Amino acid sequence: MFQELNRRQFVAQTAAAACSLTAALGCPAVVRAADTKWGDLVGRLVYDGTAPPRQKLKVDKDLDCCGKFDIRDESLMVGSDGGLMSVFIYLRTVKVEICPELAAAAPKRVTLDNRDCIFQPHCMAIWYDRQEFYIVNSDPVAQNVAFTPLGDTPANIVLPVGGDASHQFGRKQNLPVPIACNYHPWESAYILPRDNPYFDLSQADGTFRIAKVPLGMLEFQAWHERVGYLDAPQWPKGRFTVTVRAGINDLGTLKLNPLLLVKK
Amino acid sequence: MVFLLLAPGGCTTTEPPRFRLNTEGRDPARISRPQQDAILGALEGLFGTPDEPKVPPGIELPLEPLKMAAGPVGSAEDGSLWGLYRKYCAACHGISGDGAGPRAALFDPYPRDFRHGVYKYTSTAGGAKPVRTDLQRTLHCGIPGTAMPSFDRLSDREIVALVQYVVYLSIRGETELFLLQLVLDEDEYPVDKAKAAREGALPAAASWVAAEKMVVQPPPPPALDTAEQLSTSLARGRKLFATKDAKCVQCHGPAGKGDGEQSELYDDWNKRKRGVTPQQTQELARLFRLPLEQLRPRNFTEGIFHGGARPIDIYRRIHVGIKGTPMPAAGPAPGSSGALKPEDIWHLVSFVRSLGPGGGR
Repeated sequence: MFQELNRRQFVAQTAAAACSLTAALGCPAVVRAADTKWGDLVGRLVYDGTAPPRQKLKVDKDLDCCGKFDIRDESLMVGSDGGLMSVFIYLRTVKVEICPELAAAAPKRVTLDNRDCIFQPHCMAIWYDRQEFYIVNSDPVAQNVAFTPLGDTPANIVLPVGGDASHQFGRKQNLPVPIACNYHPWESAYILPRDNPYFDLSQADGTFRIAKVPLGMLEFQAWHERVGYLDAPQWPKGRFTVTVRAGINDLGTLKLNPLLLVKK
Repeated sequence: MVFLLLAPGGCTTTEPPRFRLNTEGRDPARISRPQQDAILGALEGLFGTPDEPKVPPGIELPLEPLKMAAGPVGSAEDGSLWGLYRKYCAACHGISGDGAGPRAALFDPYPRDFRHGVYKYTSTAGGAKPVRTDLQRTLHCGIPGTAMPSFDRLSDREIVALVQYVVYLSIRGETELFLLQLVLDEDEYPVDKAKAAREGALPAAASWVAAEKMVVQPPPPPALDTAEQLSTSLARGRKLFATKDAKCVQCHGPAGKGDGEQSELYDDWNKRKRGVTPQQTQELARLFRLPLEQLRPRNFTEGIFHGGARPIDIYRRIHVGIKGTPMPAAGPAPGSSGALKPEDIWHLVSFVRSLGPGGGR
């Protein structure tokens, strides 16, 4: 009659029962047992200086369509309060347990849009064996998406107006893969295919959050388009180790000297 | 002084040739001795040497043809030749298949660097590797308009041996690229040979096998027996050539003379040699064996096609693109409906051929 439960299932079921009970009683919900298995990693990256003005890129093809946009270099994006945007932060430690909730929560698609004669977004990461890499052309001219992941099948796709395509990566990459457009040479983007959801890209305010990371000592990697591995004094070769505990693990604000982001 | 000229060493080389480390795009001075030894040692353990090739376990590459192609030039008792690669290929493609043999610097375009596993003239969709018949066709026909000659006079057995050896160099090259990232970027050395095989060599070999399923099967070409059929096909082809969806005109020019507005084109082997400014390009030059070479879109009025001038050859170039170059795949592929329908590609083929001398006849 009784189902054999392992310890984890027993605790989870008890906690779930306790939760619904206390909710019904109007009491504050207890911390679910499941939450004590995972932690969130948060932090903020700040460009400690005045960001140089973004250079205009040479737009010399399809001018009737693309000439009207103010297309500028996106390799160093600093927010109004100094936040450093588009830094890839991802888990380096291999063979980690993945929180089951994340598979359901992850968006089905990671979309690369050809819009306004640039790739949008400029940087993205994908859980390649769970999410679909979906490429679409929202521009009124044909577009091309070309990239060559190391040790994996290259792509060189033509997207007619309104066209779309889907690409399946065959393996994870340790470094983001550059994406180019052969028709419009100023266009560029980066995609990082990983085999788990433990990655994030810093936002316009410099913040990043990697949710539901397994507990314990884990190594992470930071990468930025301008310099590759974000080699900082606190993060040699862009790597840092965190002992992840349940709840929020706040790395705080990391102020980066502008010299660290000078293109080599 | 004369004694110095007669210093010991003699006139013969006793050292067998060795594979050269792929340092393209990297500063060799920044690669430490232990790192270099780790990479080359792992590769030698898996793939052997230019004289004694080996095939890592789990990879389906028969050793006999490789032995025929490898090693110094010689002959067996039955008159068949050995050291085929060194005799026919190494002077241009290099001992390591790096496309930088002693003659390479003379040519435009350069000989192929096999180590990336990317080949231009293929029949496979979706960015896949070529199939063996693609490489055999290249050896039989050569690449007209370039320094790659036809090896039609070789026996079938010899051509198969050379093709297999190219595949071997290619798998070895991709394993090397994996190891370069592992050792130099990730700082992981000494190298776990099992990891190098599992994550470097086996996926590379598997991609060659997977390519067999990606061969494009075109629909039958339209009948072009009557003048009316021909002119209809040409008109459709001309229209497609100019269409915004295919973007042929952008590189090949409105009359197909290769004078489109896209003037600065490079293939993947040369793209990395370019910096953002001319000065940066100059500085990058020391990291590469051969100087930067530009790519020229085909001028169809010449009637010379590198990948072959048969209708099926040109069909394949359009459908699957020319891998490693800006020429994209316009035909359907898994995950992409493409810019052109296969039937339309045939009309484009008619049009492109008609631009050649004598109307492509």
